[in-house]
Amino acid sequence: MPAIETHCPYCSLQCGMRLSGRRTPEVQEWAEFPVNKGAMCRKGWNAAGLYGGRERLTTPLLRDRATGEWSPASWDQALDVIAERIAAIQAERGPDSIAIFGGGGLTNEKAYSLGKFARVALRTSQIDYNGRWCMSSAASAGTRAFGVDRGLPFPLADVEQADVVVLVGSNLAETMPPAARHLDALRARGGQVVVIDPRRTSTATRADVFLQPVPGTDLALALGVLHQLVALGAVDTAYVEERTTGWEDVKESVAAWWPERVERVSGVPADDVRALAAQLAGAGKVMVLTARGAEQHSTGSDTVLAWINVALALGMCGKEGAGYGCLTGQGNGQGGREHGQKADQLPGYRMIDDPAARAHVAGVWGVDPDSLPGKGRSAYELLDALGTDDGPSAMLVFGSNIVVSAPHATHVTERLESLDLLVVADIVMSETAAVADVVLPVTQWAEETGTMTNLEGRVILRQQAITPPAGVRSDLDVIAGLAERLHSPVKFPTDPEEIFEELGRASAGGKADYAGITYARVRDELGVFWPCPDAGHPGTPRMFLDSFAHPDGRARFHVVAYRGAAEQPDDDYPVHLTTGRVLAQYQSGAQTRRVKELPDTGPFVEIHPMLAGRIGAVDGEPVTLMTRRGTMTAPARVVDTIRPDTVFVPFHWVGANKLTNDALDPASRMPEFKACAARVSIPPVVEQGRQGPSRDQEVAS
Amino acid sequence: MAAVRLCEELVAGSYDGSVTLLCDEDHPPYNRILLSAVLEGTQPADALTLRSEQWFADRGIDLRLGARVLEVDRERNEVMLVDGTRLPYDRLVLATGAIPTLPPIRGLVRLDGSLHPDVHAFRSLADCRRLDVAVKPGQRAIVVGGGLLGLQVARALSVRGMLTEVVEGADHVLHSQLGEAGGRVLARDLRRLGTEVYTGARAVRLRDNVLVLDNGHSLETDLVVLTAGGRPSTALARRAGLMVRRGVVVDAHLASVTDDRVHAIGDCAEHRGRTTGFVPPAWEQASVLARHLCGEDVSYDGSRNVARLRATGLDVAVLGDPERAVGEIVEMTNPIVGSHRRLVVQGGRVVAAALVGDLSRVGLVTQLYDRGTVLGVDEPGQLLMPEAAAAPVTLPDEAEVCACAGVTAGQIRACSSLEACRETTRATTGCGGCTQAVCELLGVQPELATS
Repeated sequence: MPAIETHCPYCSLQCGMRLSGRRTPEVQEWAEFPVNKGAMCRKGWNAAGLYGGRERLTTPLLRDRATGEWSPASWDQALDVIAERIAAIQAERGPDSIAIFGGGGLTNEKAYSLGKFARVALRTSQIDYNGRWCMSSAASAGTRAFGVDRGLPFPLADVEQADVVVLVGSNLAETMPPAARHLDALRARGGQVVVIDPRRTSTATRADVFLQPVPGTDLALALGVLHQLVALGAVDTAYVEERTTGWEDVKESVAAWWPERVERVSGVPADDVRALAAQLAGAGKVMVLTARGAEQHSTGSDTVLAWINVALALGMCGKEGAGYGCLTGQGNGQGGREHGQKADQLPGYRMIDDPAARAHVAGVWGVDPDSLPGKGRSAYELLDALGTDDGPSAMLVFGSNIVVSAPHATHVTERLESLDLLVVADIVMSETAAVADVVLPVTQWAEETGTMTNLEGRVILRQQAITPPAGVRSDLDVIAGLAERLHSPVKFPTDPEEIFEELGRASAGGKADYAGITYARVRDELGVFWPCPDAGHPGTPRMFLDSFAHPDGRARFHVVAYRGAAEQPDDDYPVHLTTGRVLAQYQSGAQTRRVKELPDTGPFVEIHPMLAGRIGAVDGEPVTLMTRRGTMTAPARVVDTIRPDTVFVPFHWVGANKLTNDALDPASRMPEFKACAARVSIPPVVEQGRQGPSRDQEVAS
Repeated sequence: MAAVRLCEELVAGSYDGSVTLLCDEDHPPYNRILLSAVLEGTQPADALTLRSEQWFADRGIDLRLGARVLEVDRERNEVMLVDGTRLPYDRLVLATGAIPTLPPIRGLVRLDGSLHPDVHAFRSLADCRRLDVAVKPGQRAIVVGGGLLGLQVARALSVRGMLTEVVEGADHVLHSQLGEAGGRVLARDLRRLGTEVYTGARAVRLRDNVLVLDNGHSLETDLVVLTAGGRPSTALARRAGLMVRRGVVVDAHLASVTDDRVHAIGDCAEHRGRTTGFVPPAWEQASVLARHLCGEDVSYDGSRNVARLRATGLDVAVLGDPERAVGEIVEMTNPIVGSHRRLVVQGGRVVAAALVGDLSRVGLVTQLYDRGTVLGVDEPGQLLMPEAAAAPVTLPDEAEVCACAGVTAGQIRACSSLEACRETTRATTGCGGCTQAVCELLGVQPELATS
């Protein structure tokens, strides 16, 4: 049997790989795929390790609330129960009493079908997804600055052509390792890499310049760099005049951000701010790339706008081998946000409150435009409203492990537990599935076919390579089965290719236009970049070369003000806490923690030797981390690569997000995962008969 | 700068009254901090403007340039301009700043009261422009006053190619901020950069391009810049009968203790016996006053100040008042490498600090100072030590070399070739960052490894 060409199940790089083998797939390199050229990290190489695990769910499960016991059910029983409960709840409380929570790892076909299912079969406005916690700040900023949001408006390999690449809050050498090869190639031909991060990460160690700001101050740094670019006369005035609007106000707004002021706010020495500006001023091609470190803040979208201002002032956006881009996180972080999983959008990035958009999409769906609901709540606001008087009382979750990944997780878990009905479709008994009423066992990567859109806006095809275990169905089957039982006015197809063709029609004329993309083209062309409006269109690897997506074709400068993190350290909580990923794990770890080839180290608290000395922490021994929202205990990892005033915890395990702050960005509704105030101490000796902080440690061990 | 910030904050707070801003200069408010950088040539003068005339107009603020106030009539609640215009007010905010002090040097002022043509003050954009024109590379310049501004100006003139000397009356430069040890390190830096420093010497007479000092030296010069301090500009307040000591005395609402309808912020204000002369406190005062005027219940409780010398080649940061703050002093001076660090620590908190020469820790120390972080007993000492350089190490067998594939040094050493290593361990096949280390462990050339 020939090997199947497909893509890794994890991050937004979507590395190409070949799978052979019938029962359990064997991973082989696919050297021709241009994004990774055969390179993969151990998550990819061991992607098949999830198969054959005993933890795989193969039958629907119903939980008895009185006893907490699970009992297996047939698919018909399970879907009947769900449909009946939904109908009863909606009859009593209206359409919006049912919520849908999706994920940025779902295929385009699933994301699209979920959005349609919510609006057509459930008629609920209450749908959003975990991508809101991923790149929504970059999406909001990109839309405002350029008129459209595509993570990278150029192929990733363009990185190699730049003279200077600035990575703001990205640890790509760990989060998407093969991408780091492009940085090395850039440096091999004389280019330079700048890394801005509160931690000297493995990405930082292979950079030419490393700046270590206080968490939440990347915005101030951008203002200072722009101030200094003005001082150096490095602004490309011809470009600014010809291709942008709003420069004069922005120029004025940075007059008060001289480097010494930036130093006081950000902790980055003034001379380093000057040196960075001089480096950018002297480079022909500058590329600024942001990631979650810059974006997951209550000021995340303004931070991205501030860095976009820098790229625009230098005349870089829309120039080959230069510009601004966002390094999307989740596997389908890009595609997942384009086709109607967001509370405010319809397929093709159409806005749900735009009458023309509603008419077009309703036409494709074969329903009355007036029957479509309006805007719903954003992800965190949705979760916060669950079980409240005017919030939903039932929720269906697809492709998300909310209990681990939501900020202020203790509160969110309480909200989930207050629901009348929680349905979770997953491959294993995740922490979120464990609190559900009904759990549906669904297919995963390699057992099903579907498209993803990677961080470059390249639509790629994950092809089925093996037969799913008996008893397991696709999310698409779940959607179709429920729609039918809920007497949906239209039928929901379950064939991914058929859904993709419909998605193409629904997105036609929208900003993310897939109309000209087919499975055959994706196979033949190693992926197709949107927008691709018709069969004859070659796709768009590079955007903005001639014009931006605003009606006047110009990019917009935006005046942004520094506000800082919503919660600042004080006497009670004197250090900054920031969170992130480690190489061997992915997101909530539901997949990767079950792969035995991937080391499951458990959570840890990264802490600088000076801070460790202050509290008496010892490397490898437990420390307790406390914020206003929660507590966790995990071993200390004493390293001099982190700021002395900051601690870091990876978020793949239960614990980190009990601590994080649910303050939201006003534009993107992104929670502030990356900065809050914390106290770190040695855990007290647990007294007899008293509950100590041991629960998290069990998870850790 | 305080006045612009006040306007910004009033706009942000949706202040419901009308606002008039009277500026005696002809230029809309600009960033005075950067004037020495303009002189040095590292900052264009046209990028100093903090808010354009249009900005004020768009927000309904009546900005009047070149509007010099003659008197404040508190009985009639009016200000009178030199052109005779009378403007009524409900609230009056004085943000008149400071004016340079003229040192007692004979020959500075001519009979008609104007400055000697070779003598310059350095306070306003006009001063800066006038001095800028007078700069002639290769000619001599003397800066009178070795404070922050004086040293910045001296460096600017030196960078511009003038043969520059500094005259300071105290026994070391930056004497308000630094002790003798720090001042000496700094003077050494200046001399290394080609600027001679005369301390403990006062200029007493200027005659025929010669500045005579009280220690007997006579310095030839083509140019003299006076930066020997400033004093709060309080003449208006004084004439209006407001209580003035060094500055206009204000309470926690930045209101004059004589008349609560008149406020003072910035360099001209005196709060709890202190005047500041720095931007950060002025901005904090403006912010508090704006919120107070918008009806919020706020009060001003003093400011933490960080003063930074802005000049190419000179590195100084002064946090708080390291010469007078009360606490334990932890200090390290290394004249050999030209660094001086002093922390004043009270109850574990850094309450003041001075850093000269080596600012590698300035970002962290500033954060600890601003946030009042309580440090452990070892930390103040650690903060003063240079960061240790990493020594090269031989990797133990259990050390992870390839993070992508999770391969240890021992596993790599066990491989016979790079190809075998790739095949059996997948080391180097992920991000590629370990290629060099793997090649070293295997004893092969890295260039063969690039694929």
